[in-house]
Amino acid sequence: MLLLLLACKDAPTDAGPTLTNGPVPEVTPAAPTLRRLTTSQYHNAIVDLLGPDVLLPTSLEPDIQVEGLLSVGAGVASVSSWGVERYESAAISLAEQAVEQGTLTDCDSTACVDDFVADFGRRAWRRPLTEDEVSTLAEVIDWIADDSGDFETSLVYGTAAMLQSPHFLYRKEHGSSDQGGPLSDFELATRLSFFVWNTTPDEELLDAAEAGELSTDAGLEEQARRLMEDERAVDGVRNLFTELYTLYALDDLDKDPLVFTHASADLGPAAREETLLLVENLLLHEGGDFRDLFTSERSYVDRRLASLYRVGAPSEEGHGEVWFERSDGRRGLLGHASVLAQYSHATGSSPTLRGKFLRTTVLCHTIPPPPGDVDTTIPEADNSSPTMRDRIAIHLEDPACASCHSLLDPIGLGLENFDGIGRWRDTENGETIDASGDLDGAAWETPWEMAATVRNHPDLGPCFTTRLYDYAVGRPSGEGEEDLEDWLAVEFEISGYAVPDLMLSTVMSPGFRNAGAFDVE
Amino acid sequence: MSSRRRFLRGMLAGGGLVTLGLPRFAHADCGAFPQRFGVWFWGNGNRPDKWTPTGEGADWSLSEELAPLAAVKDEITVVSGFSIKVPNLIPHYSGACGLLTGQPEDGPEDAWTVFGPSIDQVIAAEVGDATLYRSLEVGITTTTSFSYSGPNANNPAEMNPFALYERLFGDTFREPGEGGLVDPSLGYRRSALDAVMGDLDSLHGELGYSDRIRLEQHLDGVRDLETRLAKLQEDPPELEACSRAEAPEVEYPEIDGRPQIAEVNRAMSRLLAMALACDQTRVFSYTLSNPLSNELWPDADDGHHNLTHHEPDDQPQVDAITTYNMTELAYFLEELRAIPEGDGTLLDSCLVMACSEVSEGRTHSLDEIPLVLAGGACGKIVQGQHVRSYTQENVNRVSLSLIRAMGVNQASWGAGDNEVTDGLGDIEL
Repeated sequence: MLLLLLACKDAPTDAGPTLTNGPVPEVTPAAPTLRRLTTSQYHNAIVDLLGPDVLLPTSLEPDIQVEGLLSVGAGVASVSSWGVERYESAAISLAEQAVEQGTLTDCDSTACVDDFVADFGRRAWRRPLTEDEVSTLAEVIDWIADDSGDFETSLVYGTAAMLQSPHFLYRKEHGSSDQGGPLSDFELATRLSFFVWNTTPDEELLDAAEAGELSTDAGLEEQARRLMEDERAVDGVRNLFTELYTLYALDDLDKDPLVFTHASADLGPAAREETLLLVENLLLHEGGDFRDLFTSERSYVDRRLASLYRVGAPSEEGHGEVWFERSDGRRGLLGHASVLAQYSHATGSSPTLRGKFLRTTVLCHTIPPPPGDVDTTIPEADNSSPTMRDRIAIHLEDPACASCHSLLDPIGLGLENFDGIGRWRDTENGETIDASGDLDGAAWETPWEMAATVRNHPDLGPCFTTRLYDYAVGRPSGEGEEDLEDWLAVEFEISGYAVPDLMLSTVMSPGFRNAGAFDVE
Repeated sequence: MSSRRRFLRGMLAGGGLVTLGLPRFAHADCGAFPQRFGVWFWGNGNRPDKWTPTGEGADWSLSEELAPLAAVKDEITVVSGFSIKVPNLIPHYSGACGLLTGQPEDGPEDAWTVFGPSIDQVIAAEVGDATLYRSLEVGITTTTSFSYSGPNANNPAEMNPFALYERLFGDTFREPGEGGLVDPSLGYRRSALDAVMGDLDSLHGELGYSDRIRLEQHLDGVRDLETRLAKLQEDPPELEACSRAEAPEVEYPEIDGRPQIAEVNRAMSRLLAMALACDQTRVFSYTLSNPLSNELWPDADDGHHNLTHHEPDDQPQVDAITTYNMTELAYFLEELRAIPEGDGTLLDSCLVMACSEVSEGRTHSLDEIPLVLAGGACGKIVQGQHVRSYTQENVNRVSLSLIRAMGVNQASWGAGDNEVTDGLGDIEL
C-alpha cells in the first residue's frame, strides 16, 4: 500500500515566514486542443482494455514534443497516412489477440452485439456511445458475422473499428460550447485519469462521471484523491517526470564506445530508472520536498551505475538504494547520469547543453537560439587550452556569443567534473578541473555546492508548477492562465513543495476543469 | 511472374546492348511510364570550397566531394550558388524549412513547425492518387523526415529496411500478371474504416479550427488506406521491371557504436527502386540524415554536427563525410538506372532533388546551398550540366521549376519576400 501524505505532511522547516495565498484567481484558458494519445498512453489504455497478455505494437506514429513535453506535442500532432496504416494494423492485431485469449467479452453470438458494443465502447471511448454509434458498429459486426460465417471474425473487425476510431485515439476536452466553459463529466474523468495514471479511466471513475459527481468540488476531490492513492499513480508520476526531463530520449543515447568504454546500450534506460525511482520514493511515496530532488544524497543504482559512479553496488539484481558522500562529489538530479549523459555530446561533455537544460527546462528561462551565421568553432584541446573552461572561453569573450553563453556556460562548467556519460573526473588533459561557477549571483566551488544553489533558486518551484500545468492541460498555458499559475506556485510553496499536493491543487483549479474558447481561422 | 518476363528482363539487365547507343536525351517523354519525384536529403551541408564544380553548362568537371557521382555525371545537373532566402533564426531548421517548404519556420526553437506542405507533398497531392502509396518516407539514420503535409503534420520515415520490405513486398504484394489479392478480410477492413470515417466526420463538427485541420489530415490517411485496400483487389500494374524485391537483413546492428549507414542505404535504395518500378508510389522523401544530425559516421571521431563546429581548419572529417554521403547518393541513382524501363531506365522518369539545409555547417550558411538534380523528369529537366548563379539567386526558383516539371500547375513558390513566380529557365527543357 502506498503511503501518501496529501496535505497532511509535516510543516516545511525552511519555508520562512508563514505564507498565505489569496482566493483562486479567475482564469481564461487558452483554446483547447484535441489530444492524441501518446504512445505510452495508448499502450496503457490497451492493457486496461484487453488485459496484460496482449503483445503491444512496436510501430506506431511517433510522439512529438513541444517544449520537451510529449503531452503538449500530442495537442498539435496530426496522424500521417502511414500512421493511419499503423493504427489499423495494431487495432486488428490487438483485437485478434484479445478474441483468441478470451479477454474481450462473453458475447458469443449476434444476439448480444449491441450490449458488447455499448459496454466495450464506453470503456474504450471513455464515454457512453450514442444509439447511432452503437447501431453503426453493430451493423458492421452483424454483416461480417453473416459474410464470414464466423462470429469471432466479426468481433475482431468490430473491435478494431473501435480501436482505430478517433474517439479512442484522441481525447476531446473541449466542453460543450465553442465559447469555452466547463468540461463535461466524462471529459474531466479522462483528463484526470490520464494526468494522474497516464491511462484510461477505470469503471468507478466512469460511473462517477455518469452520476454527475465530477461537476462538484467534493466529487472531483474524492476521485482525485482515490486516483492519487492508487498504485497506478506511480505510472502517472513517472511519466510526468519522464516528459519533464525528456528522459524518453535516453532510449537513443548516442555515445562513442571508443571514447566512453563504460557506455553501452543499457546505460540510458538504467540511468532513467535511477531518476524515476528517486522521484517515485522521495516525491510520491514520501511526499517529500520537490526541491530535494536536486540535493538528494540518496539514490538508486544498479551494478552498472554503481561502477560508473564508483559507489557500493547493490547486493541484488536491479536498482538498490545508495547514499552519496560529500567525497563522491555528486548528489541530486544534476549528478544523475540521466541528465549528465543526456545533455552531453557523443564524445564529450557539453557545458552549454547542460547549462541550457538547467536554464530552460528546470528554471523556465528563455534563451534565444544561437545566431544563424557565426563561426562556432571552439579550439581543440592542447597545452594552451587543456580544459573545457579554457576552450569555450571564447564564448564569453566574443560579445556576440556572450549575451547568451554567459547565461549557460558558467552553470554548465560547474558540472565539468562529470564527463560525457556522468563519470567523475578530477582532471582533464592533466589539468585540475575548476568547477566553480555561479547562477544568478549565487556562487559555488564544487558540484556538491552547486546542487544547493539550484535547489534554492526562486524560479525552481514556479517553473515546475507551470510545466506540470501544461502537461495536465495538454497545451502551453496562455496569458489568461498566468495568475492561476502564480497562485498554484504559492500553494506549492505552502505545501512544502509536495508534488502530490500540487497535482491535487491543479486538478481542483478552474484551469483544469474548464476549456477555453475554440480557435478560429 | 511469367518465365517469359523473367527472360526479357534478364536480357535487358545482362545484355547492355539494348540501351547502348541510344541518344542520351532521347526520352522527351516517358511514354506509358509514370513520372516520379523524390527528395534525397542529408543533414549539415558540405565543405563549399570542395563542392562547387569547375566549368559550366555542359562543359564541366566534378569537384572533389562530387567525384563519387562520376558514373552518373551525364544524368545529373549540379545547381550551385543559390541561396535559401529566409531569416536564419533557428540554425539548421530555418534552412530546412526554407529549402523544402519555400517559407520560414513558424514558431520558436522549441515549438517550431512549418507554414505549409513540403515540396514532395505538394507534388504527391497532384500525382499520388494513382498509386498504392501517395508517398513513401524512408530514413537511413532517423525516423523523422522533412516531409510535411502541413503544419505539425510530419510524415515519419521508416528506418528499418526489413519493416519496409514487409510493408511493400510482404503478404499483400502481387507481381504483374498474378492478379489482385483475393481475401475477404479486405472487405471487413474497409467496412471498419467506413465506421472510422463516420466517427471522424462527427467529431470534426465539435472542434475548433486547428483541430479540424488535424482531423482532415487523419481522414486523408484513412481514405488513402481504403483506396489502397480497394486497389489491392485489382490487377497490379503491368510493368515489366517489377518483381518482388529481395528481402534485406532483419537487422543492421551498430558497429563500434556507429550505424551501418552504407549498408542500410543500399538495402533501402534497392527496395525503393523496386517500389518505384512497381509503381507502388511516385513520390518519396529519402533522409540519409537529419538537420543537426550528430550521428557517428564510420571512422569519424565525433558526431557529424559536432565536427562541423569543432573540427578545425579545413575540416577533413566533415569533407570525408560529405564524400561518403555522395557515394551513397550515387549508389541510389545507379540502382534507379539499373532498372530498364521501355528503351531507357527508371532514372529517366525520375526527378531527384538531392540537397542539404545549409552549405557550410560551421556558420550555418544559407548561401551556396548544395543541390544536385538527378534524372530527367522524362525530358523536362536538363541533365549533365553545371548551372551556377553568381547573384545568390533564390533557390525557390529551382524548386518551382521542379514542381512544374512534375506537372503541377503551381503559380508561385514561397511566401512574402521570398515568393517566386518564375522557375529557373536554365534547368528547364
